Amino acid sequence: MLLPKFDYHQPRDLPAACGLLAELGPEARVIAGGTDLLVNLKHGRIRPKALVGLERLEELTGLDSGRGRLFIGARTSAAHLAASRSLGGGLRLLAQAAGQLGSPQVRNRATIGGNLCTARPAAELPPPLLCLDARALLAGPQGQREVALSAFFKGPGLTVLGPDEIMRGVVIPRPGLGGGGAYLKLGLRRAMEISLVNVAAFLQLAPDGRTIAQARVALGAVAPTPILSPRAAQALIGQRAGDKLFAAAAEAAARDARPIDDHRGSAAYRRDMVRVLARRALEQAWDQARGRRGGKS
Amino acid sequence: MAAKYDVLGSRAPRLDAPDKATGRARFADDLNLPGQLYGALLQSPHAHARIKRIDVSRARRLRGVKAVLTGQDLPPILYGVSPARYDEEVLARDKVRHVGDDVAAVAAVDLETALEAVGLIQVEYEPLPALLTAEQALAEGAPAIHDLFPGNLCAEVHQEFGDVAAAFKQCHLIRSGRMVNKMQDGAFLEPNACIAEFDRRGNLTLYSSTQAPHYVQRTAAMVLGLNMSQVRVVKPYVGGGFGPKAAATPLELAACFLARRSGRPVKMGFTREQVFLFSRARHQFFHEMKIGVAKDGTFLALEHRCTLDGGAYSSFGIATVYYAGSLLGGPYRLPNMRYDGWRVFTNKPACGAQRGHGGVIARALFEQQLDLIAQELGQDPIALRLQNTMQAGDVTCNDLNMSSLGMRECLQAVGDGSGWRGKRGRLPRGKGIGMASGFFVSGAGYPIYRSETYHATVTVKVQEDGGGVKVLTGAAEIGQGSDTAMAMIAAEALGIPLRDVRVESGDTDLGVDLGAYSSRTTLMTGHATKEAAEDAREQILQALAEELGVVRGRLSIRRGRVKIAGGPVDIGPLRGRYLKEHRGWTDQPTGRELSFREAARVAYLRQGTIVGTGKYKPPPLGGEYKGAAVGTSPAYGCSAQVAEVSVDLETGQVFVERITDAHDCGQAVNRTSVEGQMEGSVSMGLGEALFEEVKFDSKGRVLNPSLGEYHIPTIMDMPQMKCIVVESNEPNGPYGAKEVGEGAIMPTIPAILNAVYDATGAVIDELPLTPERVLAAIKKAGQNKKGGRRKG
Ligand SMILES: Cc1cc2nc3c(=O)[nH]c(=O)nc-3n(C[C@H](O)[C@H](O)[C@H](O)COP(=O)(O)OP(=O)(O)OC[C@H]3O[C@@H](n4cnc5c(N)ncnc54)[C@H](O)[C@@H]3O)c2cc1C
Repeated sequence: MLLPKFDYHQPRDLPAACGLLAELGPEARVIAGGTDLLVNLKHGRIRPKALVGLERLEELTGLDSGRGRLFIGARTSAAHLAASRSLGGGLRLLAQAAGQLGSPQVRNRATIGGNLCTARPAAELPPPLLCLDARALLAGPQGQREVALSAFFKGPGLTVLGPDEIMRGVVIPRPGLGGGGAYLKLGLRRAMEISLVNVAAFLQLAPDGRTIAQARVALGAVAPTPILSPRAAQALIGQRAGDKLFAAAAEAAARDARPIDDHRGSAAYRRDMVRVLARRALEQAWDQARGRRGGKS
Repeated sequence: MAAKYDVLGSRAPRLDAPDKATGRARFADDLNLPGQLYGALLQSPHAHARIKRIDVSRARRLRGVKAVLTGQDLPPILYGVSPARYDEEVLARDKVRHVGDDVAAVAAVDLETALEAVGLIQVEYEPLPALLTAEQALAEGAPAIHDLFPGNLCAEVHQEFGDVAAAFKQCHLIRSGRMVNKMQDGAFLEPNACIAEFDRRGNLTLYSSTQAPHYVQRTAAMVLGLNMSQVRVVKPYVGGGFGPKAAATPLELAACFLARRSGRPVKMGFTREQVFLFSRARHQFFHEMKIGVAKDGTFLALEHRCTLDGGAYSSFGIATVYYAGSLLGGPYRLPNMRYDGWRVFTNKPACGAQRGHGGVIARALFEQQLDLIAQELGQDPIALRLQNTMQAGDVTCNDLNMSSLGMRECLQAVGDGSGWRGKRGRLPRGKGIGMASGFFVSGAGYPIYRSETYHATVTVKVQEDGGGVKVLTGAAEIGQGSDTAMAMIAAEALGIPLRDVRVESGDTDLGVDLGAYSSRTTLMTGHATKEAAEDAREQILQALAEELGVVRGRLSIRRGRVKIAGGPVDIGPLRGRYLKEHRGWTDQPTGRELSFREAARVAYLRQGTIVGTGKYKPPPLGGEYKGAAVGTSPAYGCSAQVAEVSVDLETGQVFVERITDAHDCGQAVNRTSVEGQMEGSVSMGLGEALFEEVKFDSKGRVLNPSLGEYHIPTIMDMPQMKCIVVESNEPNGPYGAKEVGEGAIMPTIPAILNAVYDATGAVIDELPLTPERVLAAIKKAGQNKKGGRRKG
């Protein structure tokens, strides 16, 4: 369990960092909190010649609201998200998810950028961000591009990120009044746990307070990437909120799940749990959208 | 009532607390010796294979490599735990028997080089069929994992006490059940580490993270061909052991051989993955039993059988297969008992001893069945147990002597402490309350090798200035608090404050001590410590009596002051001498009584250094039958727990919300340490009940060799705990003390199982209680009973 030898770079700004990546080529890796990368290095799964640290890149920090959008810098830690005042109201599910990542020590190091770029199917932050219609800001030597998060993941550990690109952050359209969401995770123990299944749900109520104007349900650990459930959204949008509807939508979400059997659990159980968690998440999202305090997470 | 003791029973802070709280405590991996090399092991990727050829030439040539060893370079000596079943080699000669079996060892100037050299060793294997389950290993025609054991049966046990067949005919109700758990990992925080050094005269010192320096010393001496007195094993602070560190490891022995070959100290350590591959933790048990009771609930007969998946070597497994039977002898009156046990070799890491050695799954199944019997009889589970529990003075059918037994008190304490009466049968569906009892030895009655050796010898050396004493013992402080316990016992016996006692321990040069296993240290080393301290006290008081010209019987020491009975005695001259000797010192003795310091100083001045010695060996214990050596103990601890759970009926998740725990440890030496053992046991039992399972793929590789994927409880998973210390007075224990280290884990799993049953109506016979397994059981129970539970 020894770290291999590598060079360590600390570029001053984003253009320098992207330039460096372009120059070093595929032998280089970006490191943020290191909570995924260092584990992989120690196990010898990857052997980069150089690491490019992000700690001096101011462009990747901060939570900024403007013109109805919230920017979250890629270096923002899970601990920061979990405690952030900017994540109230309809954004609360993101804080909820961040608060369930690992342990306090891990949350202090783990970044949102790392959690997305590492692209684990069971990761904590993709489902709430997918529900919030987040877009990833990717910076490269040629400038910046914006990619919908739903198009960002390509497979376990795979994303659209180019070798010389760095994720600057994500942007989320700020939900208005009548928006509510919830995040639920199922695992064996209450902390330090890789989800067996995780589910996020988001509802935007129409001004009548009853009709669902917009809805998203996102699922983790039941497909090669975190996914949105189109069937669930379809079942919900335009309908009047209520327990029966949520049960039907949860059923639909379970149909979109494509789980596999592994040593953590069977596919059948995972699919069942998508149904249970999706229904509960929708109920909680609705409570929140109506201004009631959500149930227990 | 005035406190009986000045030091015992208090909540004195642990001696090691300042070091550990400030990060100063040094563990094996913190030690470094000048000129040391780093060792690394080459381990088998195959579960079962013949070694055709090993080529170490490239590794030997690598710059910085100082020694490379294979099995062919070592003496052909088999070792292990039980001498009758020595079946291990430090490095495999002809075949490997599990993934992770050790094949070669390298020492180099740094760890990078050693690991690189390991990577350069080429081994040609001829794979053999891997026998990964007990069934495969027992199947007709299965290849023998050891030539010594055709049929792959490591050990079998057949015992009958009373007349079981006749008793079953008398029974009003007979219940049968089964239980299977999964192989565990010890999951101690500190992976094994060691450093071995030979001096220029050929004497070996091995610093190692071990629970049993004495056994390591003995094994190292045997395998290296040395006298025991040429081998010194020193145990620095240890970050937990729980059983798997209770015998010599190939890591330790390879370090010794590498140090001898290279002439330099060699440091080695397991990675976490290697801890899983070495294992020696809890077996997988396939346990079945049949219990018969009379109409009024009196227990009449127990028939049970168990197959243990032992892994590749015997390790402690002989004891394990016996304990799985014998520990059900108590704490209830059970006149007829039959047990058949088989331990089977498989091509997996060897299992061994782990907290609650051998008894945990037998107990889980037994206590689960008792609850079902109580239900069928319409009895309250606590009442049924109270009705059948033994009391002090009883002897079990397998000859275990209940010299003390606070079982009744434990049962009443958890009943009252948990509010059982208001809750049992009154909770909504999804909420449950359940209880169970436990029972365990307070020290194995016999050493692991046949011997008349003392189990513990202790020296108490009085410092020449009289200012304090030093307890010298080989006992292993592994985090359980034995140093503090021994200091407290010595302080009590000498009549001095705890701060005047220092402890040096865990070093085989300091005396014989069999180690920290079988919950033996408080009782056994405690006896020896008490005797040694009393010896020192006697010598001091004798000298003082002569000095003062009074009879010895008039003198005693309490709280650091000398008490003189029967009229005034002039202490002036003695005090005067002391004051003169310490002119200019600021802490001169005052008052009308002599201090311990003055007394001890005068004793030194009269006769030189005062050294008290003590020893302990259990008295002859009961049992003439084969296997009686496993289970007989000078004393037995017992316990009861009530668990309150909440079960998510849709996901199957079990949340243990509260545990009320009572344990009879005899006289509590350190109350906080007793509670610490109780809480630690609950955490371990809870993990085993809900999460823990070493998983293997079809080739015998461990799928989850990390604490990320092998789930032990975090603090978030711990229930609220109420610990109730029950203190019977154990006649065979020092000051009435006995065990709390392992017995405390016994009730946890069945209490949780019984609470889950109360919450859901599901009888679950397989551990761990993963949400998926629980949900399936709930569904099945619902179908069987059409939801017809007594609860709404
Ligand atoms: C003990 C432990 C427990 C854990 N528990 C959880 C858990 O409960 N839930 C969970 O989801 N995860 C968990 N993780 C995984 C990990 O902590 C998270 O995925 C974390 O968010 C990763 O962030 P990081 O900053 O540490 O990433 P790093 O390890 O620094 O990087 C991860 C990957 O992302 C790339 N990367 C990082 N930032 C950028 C960027 N801005 N642009 C481009 N590429 C980038 C890196 O090159 C690397 O490939 C756990 C990890 C550990 C060690």
